[in-house]
Amino acid sequence: MLPRRPFIAACSIAALASFLPAAHAVPAVGQAAPDFTLSDANGKAVKLSDFRGKHVVLEWTNPGCPYVRKHYDSGNMPATQRDAVGKGVVWLSINSTEKGSYEYMEPAKLVAWQKERDSAPTHVLLDEEGTTGRAFGARTTPHMYIVDPQGRLVYAGGIDSIPSSNPADIQRATNYVKQGLSEALAGKQITAATTRPYGCSVKYKSGA
Amino acid sequence: MSAFIRLLLATWFLALGASAHAQAPGRSVVTTEQVRAELLAHAPEGVAAGRPVWLGLQLTHKPEWHTYWKNSGDSGLPTQLEWTLPPGVLAGDIQWPVPVKIPIGSLANYGYEGTVLLPVPLEIAPDFKPSMLAQELDVRLKASWLVCRKECIPEEGEFAIKLPIRGSTGLNAQAFEAAFAAQPKPVLTTPGKLIPDSTAEIADGALNVRVQGLPASVRGRKLEFFPETPEVIQTAGAWTQDWNGAVWTAKVPLSPQRAASPAVMPVVVTDGKAGWRAELKVVGHWPKTAAPAAVSPALEEALRNNAAGKPAAPAGPGIGFFAALVGALVGGLVLNLMPCVFPVLAIKVVGFASHGGDTRARRLSGAAYTGGVVLSFVALGGLMLALRAAGEQLGWGFQLQSPLVVAALAALFTLIALNLAGVFEFGSLLPTAVASLEARHPVGNAFLSGVLAVAIASPCTAPFMGASLGLAVTLPPAQALAVFAVLGLGMALPYLAASLTPAAARWLPRPGAWMDVFRKLMAFPMFATVAWLVWVLGQQSGIDGAGALLALLVAMSLLVWTLTLRGRARMVLSGVAVLGLAALAWAALPQIAQPPAPAQQTAARAEGEWQPWSQSRVEELVAEGRPVFVDFTAAWCVTCQYNKKTTLANREVMAGLKQANVALLRADWTRRDPAITAALTALGRSGVPVYVFYKKGSAPVVLSEVLGVEEVLSVVSAP
Repeated sequence: MLPRRPFIAACSIAALASFLPAAHAVPAVGQAAPDFTLSDANGKAVKLSDFRGKHVVLEWTNPGCPYVRKHYDSGNMPATQRDAVGKGVVWLSINSTEKGSYEYMEPAKLVAWQKERDSAPTHVLLDEEGTTGRAFGARTTPHMYIVDPQGRLVYAGGIDSIPSSNPADIQRATNYVKQGLSEALAGKQITAATTRPYGCSVKYKSGA
Repeated sequence: MSAFIRLLLATWFLALGASAHAQAPGRSVVTTEQVRAELLAHAPEGVAAGRPVWLGLQLTHKPEWHTYWKNSGDSGLPTQLEWTLPPGVLAGDIQWPVPVKIPIGSLANYGYEGTVLLPVPLEIAPDFKPSMLAQELDVRLKASWLVCRKECIPEEGEFAIKLPIRGSTGLNAQAFEAAFAAQPKPVLTTPGKLIPDSTAEIADGALNVRVQGLPASVRGRKLEFFPETPEVIQTAGAWTQDWNGAVWTAKVPLSPQRAASPAVMPVVVTDGKAGWRAELKVVGHWPKTAAPAAVSPALEEALRNNAAGKPAAPAGPGIGFFAALVGALVGGLVLNLMPCVFPVLAIKVVGFASHGGDTRARRLSGAAYTGGVVLSFVALGGLMLALRAAGEQLGWGFQLQSPLVVAALAALFTLIALNLAGVFEFGSLLPTAVASLEARHPVGNAFLSGVLAVAIASPCTAPFMGASLGLAVTLPPAQALAVFAVLGLGMALPYLAASLTPAAARWLPRPGAWMDVFRKLMAFPMFATVAWLVWVLGQQSGIDGAGALLALLVAMSLLVWTLTLRGRARMVLSGVAVLGLAALAWAALPQIAQPPAPAQQTAARAEGEWQPWSQSRVEELVAEGRPVFVDFTAAWCVTCQYNKKTTLANREVMAGLKQANVALLRADWTRRDPAITAALTALGRSGVPVYVFYKKGSAPVVLSEVLGVEEVLSVVSAP
């Protein structure tokens, strides 16, 4: 009996590990951002590490979420995107909503929905399996990240400082992504490097 | 999910606008598709000062839907209440009943399902005098809540009720009693630490929680854990719990993307029904979350070349490096004028006078002193760089953040002062061989006085030095150490120059009886330094620590004096003194090293118009449009204390700041604080004092280390 014990233990650890791959990989700010390859709305593969040498913003989005609509309908998110892309920053909007969710939007519709709101991300990426979202520890829509030219995570958190669904608060709030990017582009350390993300939960596929 | 349900939900969304916003004011109930919300009141003894008067929002959720607790967890938002009440009536905070943990796949929230009442106490001021005609109190409420199942819907409602002022309102007594029963009760604490503090110890990416003072009835049972502070733990992370006698323990994983680093973490634990609230004292240092400072492309290139084993291109160091060297030299020079260097200056004056006309001795002594100063700066700088490289969050002056180092310096200065005052000669204490060695080696003596000068001068960041040191920590080690060496050279330069110039000897007075008087006089600045160090220790370790240090110093002085005696008296008395000193040291050292009780802690104490600093507070205030002035200070930094007592106490300055509605924040770096170190790094500094002025829409302005009245006023009044 005795020699079998370690084998059983190894099996159970392996089984546990397969359940928790993302939990261990979630990067802290300052650590390397996990690389990923996701397809865009046209089926083209986009790889994070292809953008080394540039700052990259990752935006978790889902038009079914009222907090995402707050920032799109008010024009805040599109304006932040245009501002960033205009400064040579790569902006990736990622949708990790599972296909089974009633909030799931077909890729083409998602692009059209964004276009109607004058949005300007570099790519809209699909993560229906939720692997990339879990690898970054994305919890809410919106949940924002900035990756620096060396591929390190330098910002993780909310779009701004006032967690509410009221678009009138946007004017009073500090836009952390805009502030973080302007500091990072000036070669400075980001002062608010981790903040509270707020919004709806990401509608992950269960057991992914 | 079927198309039918999707259609159904779409209709709900459409209905939402109509249902949540179309409620006419004057209603006490607002009903949406997900929630029935009702404003309730409870005033069994009428509305008057001192009587219990409660309002509350009762939320009844449809099955599967929930709203949120004060910390909503991974997503969601707490319910918010905005009251409109007559003058003299104030609403308190929501008294949150114990929540439940609501898992959503790999995430988790804290909130309420079913029916919950969020009670709010009303405070009636004694001068609340409704007119004789008024029979009722008008209450208006605007409430906003986020209700979620998997999907989330932000909703709001306006409510109004009238409370009879003289009659009793008690219809909802049962609902309020239930809400009061669902309040977390404070855990048992005792004065004098009979029950130790509840703590949260930071270790290996997790919090080791110890909750004390829970009732015996829950002992051994599984509890649920709810931190009130958001963004600290992994809400849905796997955690463990156990009972250790009367103490409930848990190991909870920290969030890798943590956005808060509190010193005290209030938490609620529940057994499913009842809950208890404990304020956990955080033990240990939060792992740093700030990203490494950006590296310039040129340095990046050089690092890559180094890594590849290629010699770096022989490009000269940038202008930044030379500017840093010049700044360091000037800064070192000015350091001699800083208030904290004065006692050291005294030692040097005595040293100079005793050499009198001996040119060679003076030159040697000057060179040895310079060597001592430069090497000490390099050693201290190297140590700081090595510790930073190992991931420690510290900056210049870090050595004085340790209470034991402060105590050791106080002991050293007491010895020097006693020596200067003539209580003892080093020769009478040390074995003859060592004493004569000392006498034969005045060079070694001068070298050591240089080391001493650095030890005591290092906490004072002089003007020009701040920027250089801030830059030094970002340079490669060789260049950084060069900056430290030049800094030392600058500090030693006046003595070195004087020792090399024959003319200097001529204006020095001839040695004579005056020297003894002068030497004894100089004992007093030394004692003054001891007084200052005891005060610093008091800031770090509280009044008990300072008292313990004073007792130790007295015992040490007694020992030193007994050693100057002869014969049997020396044997007996010094033996007693050694025993006394040892016993005291054994008893007192833990007192000295221990941080003070929270009540005595200066870090979090608001002093007058100054609020305690935190980065989030600065951002909050700036976002509100208020300008902010931050004083980065430390008790051991004399320049800081000087500025505090002069410019920052100046009536004109304070009036100017007040007039511009500037919020005053003070960051106290007396003890180690990684958050303050990170903020200093972000400002390009590594030591205190630093004075910063923030204003919305413009870059922060860093003021000079020796703060001028004009300077503050001009920065504040700048458009």
